[in-house]
Amino acid sequence: MFPDGNRREFLDPSALSRLSGLPLFARRPMMGSVSGRHPSPHRGASVEFAEYRKYVPGDDLRRLDWRAYGRTDRFYVKEFEADTNLRCCLVLDTSGSMDFGSGDITKLQYALKIAGALSYLAVQQGDAIGLSCVAEDMIQNIPPRRNPAHLMHVFDTLEKAVPKDGTQLTSVLHELAETIRQRALIVIISDFFVEPAELRSCFEHLQFRKHDVTAFHLLDPQELGFEFRRPMRFLDMEGGPAIFAEPNEIADRYHKALQEYLENLKQVVLQTGIDYHRTVIDEDYEKVLTQFLAGRTRARGVR
Amino acid sequence: MSFLQPMLLAALPIIALPIIIHLINQRRYQTTRWAAMMFLLAANRMSRGYARIRQWLILLFRTLAIAGLIFAISRPLASGWLGVTAGGRTDTTIILLDRSPSMQQLGPGAVVSKLETGRQQLAKTLETLGSTRYVLIESTKNVPRELNDPTDLLNLPETEPTSTSADLPAMLQAAHSYIAANQSGRTEIWICSDLRENDWNAESSRWKSLRDSFLEFSQGVRFHLLAYPRAAPQNVAVRVTDVRRQQTSEGVELLVSLHLTREGDSDERLAVPVQLEIDGARSEINVDMVGAQYELKDYRIGLTENQKQGWGRVSIPADANPADNDFYFAFDEPPERHTLIVADDPTNVRPLQLTASISPDPQAKSVATVVTEDQLGTVEWEQMALVLWHAPLPDADVAQQLTNFVSRGGRVVFFPPRSTSGREFMGVAWQDWQKPPKEIGIETWRSDQDILAHTLSGTSLPVGELQIREYCELSGEVTPLAQLPSGKPLLARMTTDHGGVYFCATTPAPSDSSLATNGIVLYVAVQRALASGAEALGNTRQLIAGEQPIELATTWERLTGDEEGLSTEYAFHRGVYTAGDRLLAVNRSAEEEQASLLADEKVAGLFNGLDFARVDDEAGTINSLIEEIWRVFLAVMMVSMIVEAALCLPKIRPTQGAAA
Repeated sequence: MFPDGNRREFLDPSALSRLSGLPLFARRPMMGSVSGRHPSPHRGASVEFAEYRKYVPGDDLRRLDWRAYGRTDRFYVKEFEADTNLRCCLVLDTSGSMDFGSGDITKLQYALKIAGALSYLAVQQGDAIGLSCVAEDMIQNIPPRRNPAHLMHVFDTLEKAVPKDGTQLTSVLHELAETIRQRALIVIISDFFVEPAELRSCFEHLQFRKHDVTAFHLLDPQELGFEFRRPMRFLDMEGGPAIFAEPNEIADRYHKALQEYLENLKQVVLQTGIDYHRTVIDEDYEKVLTQFLAGRTRARGVR
Repeated sequence: MSFLQPMLLAALPIIALPIIIHLINQRRYQTTRWAAMMFLLAANRMSRGYARIRQWLILLFRTLAIAGLIFAISRPLASGWLGVTAGGRTDTTIILLDRSPSMQQLGPGAVVSKLETGRQQLAKTLETLGSTRYVLIESTKNVPRELNDPTDLLNLPETEPTSTSADLPAMLQAAHSYIAANQSGRTEIWICSDLRENDWNAESSRWKSLRDSFLEFSQGVRFHLLAYPRAAPQNVAVRVTDVRRQQTSEGVELLVSLHLTREGDSDERLAVPVQLEIDGARSEINVDMVGAQYELKDYRIGLTENQKQGWGRVSIPADANPADNDFYFAFDEPPERHTLIVADDPTNVRPLQLTASISPDPQAKSVATVVTEDQLGTVEWEQMALVLWHAPLPDADVAQQLTNFVSRGGRVVFFPPRSTSGREFMGVAWQDWQKPPKEIGIETWRSDQDILAHTLSGTSLPVGELQIREYCELSGEVTPLAQLPSGKPLLARMTTDHGGVYFCATTPAPSDSSLATNGIVLYVAVQRALASGAEALGNTRQLIAGEQPIELATTWERLTGDEEGLSTEYAFHRGVYTAGDRLLAVNRSAEEEQASLLADEKVAGLFNGLDFARVDDEAGTINSLIEEIWRVFLAVMMVSMIVEAALCLPKIRPTQGAAA
């Protein structure tokens, strides 16, 4: 699929090959334009029986159940489930804070791996993929398409993503909730350094619009551990003021603030019912995605 | 606070070093880019107050640690009374040690005397303070003596107690002379005394000249007074006022008169068992004291016929001051009291002859011989107790003979001749006769001492009743004992080492005065001069410690008495000594029993203008006057370092991230 000249840094063909065995399912019915492997809220022509209902004028006579008419002398129409395709919208946080990484990789690079893999998997199974890059504003917005050429466009966009400025994730998410008209799988990849209360309203808005929301919360191990030996001058990656601090003095309070934030976020995701994945970027992204996809497969059928 | 190494305090600005390092360190923060600022901001906001306090505390303790070290090596002293001993090492330290009997007073509940406490305190203190040279001037000889070390104060016999009174002005004068002669550098004078008035003689004019002369020193002289002024109420002192051997029809007996003095104003009845020891045989009498004084007159003690000469001791039980609990005396057959009357006109000296030859004591035989100057060659001077000189002043050999007589302890009273010759004796000469228009009386006279003093019963002599019709003026340096209204001396005394030389400006002749007609004063004065002159003649003598030249005492042998002291210092220690055939009883002076202390203001006044510090202490005190407290500062430094280290320790927290 990827000629050598088109190889992207954030794509690992062997990992993608292994991940291809796991389908990407939506957790709720999708409303695609073509038939696919995802459940639709409409009745269709799949092999899976759905229900009987009384005939009403205008119904296709071919769908009348003649056996039932023979037994009951009444007209019933036999309905089957409809399958449709998936519209997957990736929301990628490209704010300055995503450029942080204490190890070999930054949060943005990690996010690109996830976004790239999901884009590939979606297109491979015939689903549409879209991409929105978010920083101070919505920097890039690619509507969902399902052809391979579109996938290349998405990859190009991912490749060019540069972290900078602050983040207006919440306002962009609200905007997306309004602009994505059909039901879609919204995958948000961010460090979510915003107030959990603001995120709550975003997630509720997206849920209200019947979107299937998935959040990959990326955190660096150093952000969790906060282990420094020397007095430090912390420069804000999003352009805020610098802070002089004695790490030993404030570590406890830092952890307390972080813990409080994570706890609040946990409450938000539980209450809004979004698919939340806290990911520390020293973990293997393939493993993270495997768990994500396997979880989706297990949950299939839940409408 | 004072320091032994004050120069090291110049390093105190180093305590700013932690602050400077802190300020430099502020600029050496490691910079890192950070994403999770929202938590950092919250944490920083929360910890800002404590962090700042902690930072200041760390600075404070670092500063304290350095300050503690600097103070410790500067060797701080605990006691503040010394004032600023600081200022570098002392070149010369002079110790004036009062060894008088009153310094043997014990502290309350202690067995250590004021003197012993003072010696120990001084040894400790001076050893701590350090000095290049130590000089001791003790109160008996007033001669500077260099010490190797302050601890010599504890070992030298010259620092032991004596029976002699101190003369603080003389001691200071010796110190002054030493400083001037040796060109001493920075000098400290330590005075150890109990502030007895008789030792300090604060009224002496010498103090003013001393003060002025010390102020002239450019090198700076600092005075430290280590005073032990605490009195000892109920301390009783005993003194023998008179001892006479007399022959009666019943046998030979000794008449002993005693005087007990109690300190304080208590009227409480006090039973004092007084022990009398005569040639080793003891007897005891019980005395009930009420009030401060007790007088026992002529207590009779029987003697054997052959006990012509002997010694004795009166003692009372131990009390606060063991130095005044005993008194020694010696007795002998009273010698004949020979008076030599030298007159150019023997017919004019009849009143003198009568007063000199009639003894108030029937046991004491008095003889008065009248001679002219020409007959002096036949006189046996060794037999004479008193010379009444009513002739032109002697010169040449005669003057020398008379001087020798005075040096031996004899007494001379000069009366003015009718024609003054211009001769002088010991710097004193008769001037012109003066005849006032009418009789004049005596304006003032010394009734506290010498031959015009009150009687033992306290009655004054009728000196004021005397009428002077004609008198002769005197020239020379004399001490007036009686003065006319014009201020001219009527009776004056020459200052001599021994004996006594008196000048009476008038004669007993009725045309000159009423000395003969109102003869009480003349009689008492002559008899007193005769008695004191006779003391030098007898084979026994009552001596006041320290009054005899120390050279004379080198031949003495001790019979009994104070066991302390070297044989060369016998003259300073109470006891009974033999000098050839003579028995000498040495005792403290009567002034030692006067417990009056010098007032604080007076002491301050004596050192007014001088660099002076005083501390009052008590006998038996074991604490050092000063104490080095560098250990405290070292402890402060160590504690500060520990606290600082504790504050700097990183907080123990889980190695894994809190959110992991």
